[in-house]
Amino acid sequence: MKYRYQDEMSPPPARRVTDVAITRFEHVFEVEPALMTDHVTQQDFPNWDTLRLVRSRADHLAWMHRHFADKVLSGEELLHDLDE
Amino acid sequence: MPDPEKRPETTPEKRFAEEWRNAAYNCFSSGHKFCREVCPVTQVTRNESWSPTAFHANVVAMEQGELEIADVAADYVNCTGCGACELRCPNSLFTGDFYRFRTRTVDLVKAVRGLAVRQGVHQPAWQRWNLLTDERGHEPVLNGTPVDQARVRDWAAGLDLPIGGETILFVDCEAAFHRTSVPRAVARILNLAGYKFGLMHEQWCCGGPAAEMGYEEQARRFARHNLDDWRAGGVRRVLVLDPHDYVTFTEDYPAYFGDAYDIEIVLVVELLAELIREGRLTPHVPVERTVTYHDPCRLNKRKGVWREPREILRAIPGLTFHDVDRVTQWSYCSGAGGGLPVEKPELTARISEQRVGKAAELGVDTLVSACPWSERPLSEAGRARSIDVVDLHELLAESLGVAP
Ligand code: SF4
Ligand code: SF4
Repeated sequence: MKYRYQDEMSPPPARRVTDVAITRFEHVFEVEPALMTDHVTQQDFPNWDTLRLVRSRADHLAWMHRHFADKVLSGEELLHDLDE
Repeated sequence: MPDPEKRPETTPEKRFAEEWRNAAYNCFSSGHKFCREVCPVTQVTRNESWSPTAFHANVVAMEQGELEIADVAADYVNCTGCGACELRCPNSLFTGDFYRFRTRTVDLVKAVRGLAVRQGVHQPAWQRWNLLTDERGHEPVLNGTPVDQARVRDWAAGLDLPIGGETILFVDCEAAFHRTSVPRAVARILNLAGYKFGLMHEQWCCGGPAAEMGYEEQARRFARHNLDDWRAGGVRRVLVLDPHDYVTFTEDYPAYFGDAYDIEIVLVVELLAELIREGRLTPHVPVERTVTYHDPCRLNKRKGVWREPREILRAIPGLTFHDVDRVTQWSYCSGAGGGLPVEKPELTARISEQRVGKAAELGVDTLVSACPWSERPLSEAGRARSIDVVDLHELLAESLGVAP
């Protein structure tokens, strides 16, 4: 990861996905920035930081699965348990 | 518009709280405390006033006029700036990138420390440390033996490194004066790979530690000096071996200089992994050690850099490597960051002991780190358990057969 200020502060162009969401990086969604201009304004977010969070989240979810998910249940089984 | 500085009811604390209000309420209204179990200070002290949650709640109290900075300044010493809390906080990990708004405990702690210094509330050891740094241009890392400009390049004696050039190696104060074998190893490895680089004309401390302890004006002055020195020497690229410097150059300097900041920053660990991948470096001397790797907080948590150090370790023949994954290590820390060892060495020691204890459970003889600052307290804790603490760069140099 070579750091260059100009590169980090230039996010890829946004593509609209819904009225309230956009995407800039593949599979990464962001709130429509216009919705965050009143009460809570967005922070400076270099590209590395977005990608760090996205990757850390994936690593954390995988870690949770490795540590805490030891069996797979079907929806049907769950509903059955609830009925009982 | 009335000038807020002149409003009689406005205090420095209230003005500060205005700036940090959203961040503070974002935490205060969540209050789920996922952060606590990954916080090294909370782990060893269980002191609720020294937790990421409390660091945010205090700002709410300042806003309500219930707290003055002098009441809480000493509490904010108890943070290593490891970044675990802000990464593990769901407001970062699950929604930070979505809203482009994440928890920033590290920045908050630095800002509160800055407020304290501006208000004349000093921590004695930090004040002395920064005074000496200001006098000498370098951190007083040698416990009484003065450090100075004339000796900042002594570590490179006999290596024939040029001064200046397009690419330079920046060496942090701890490595330049105390852990001198680390920059020597880096320089020798880069020479072996035929990678051209030089040293700075007049290198000062990066300023990062002063910023972490609240001495903001000094931090900016040091940063200005270094950037001017780079510019004057035609430097385009700075190689950084120390994770703390890496954070300073990629977060503090951009905040100080904005668009005018046009220097490329390269982390040495990443560069070395690349050189191994490209076949320009081939570790071949077996190193018979049973090791585990300590993820430096500023690489793993704060920058998301954890693959490359493991890549390097796996390229070294002879090593038996017991890895502990990067997520488990979010709750590990050496205790050496954020000025904690300067003001509270006994707390750093407890955190280091806890970290080395985790290594001992794996039955290893060596704990490998990639952060010069972590290596002093970890080595001290390692001695009691007969665990060597070795720097990754040095280990690689050994396996490449280059002399120290
Ligand atoms: S810092 Fe984050 S995880 Fe910790 S209490 Fe605040 S909101 Fe919760
Ligand atoms: S940065 Fe690290 S030491 Fe500081 S409050 Fe957060 S987890 Fe604790």
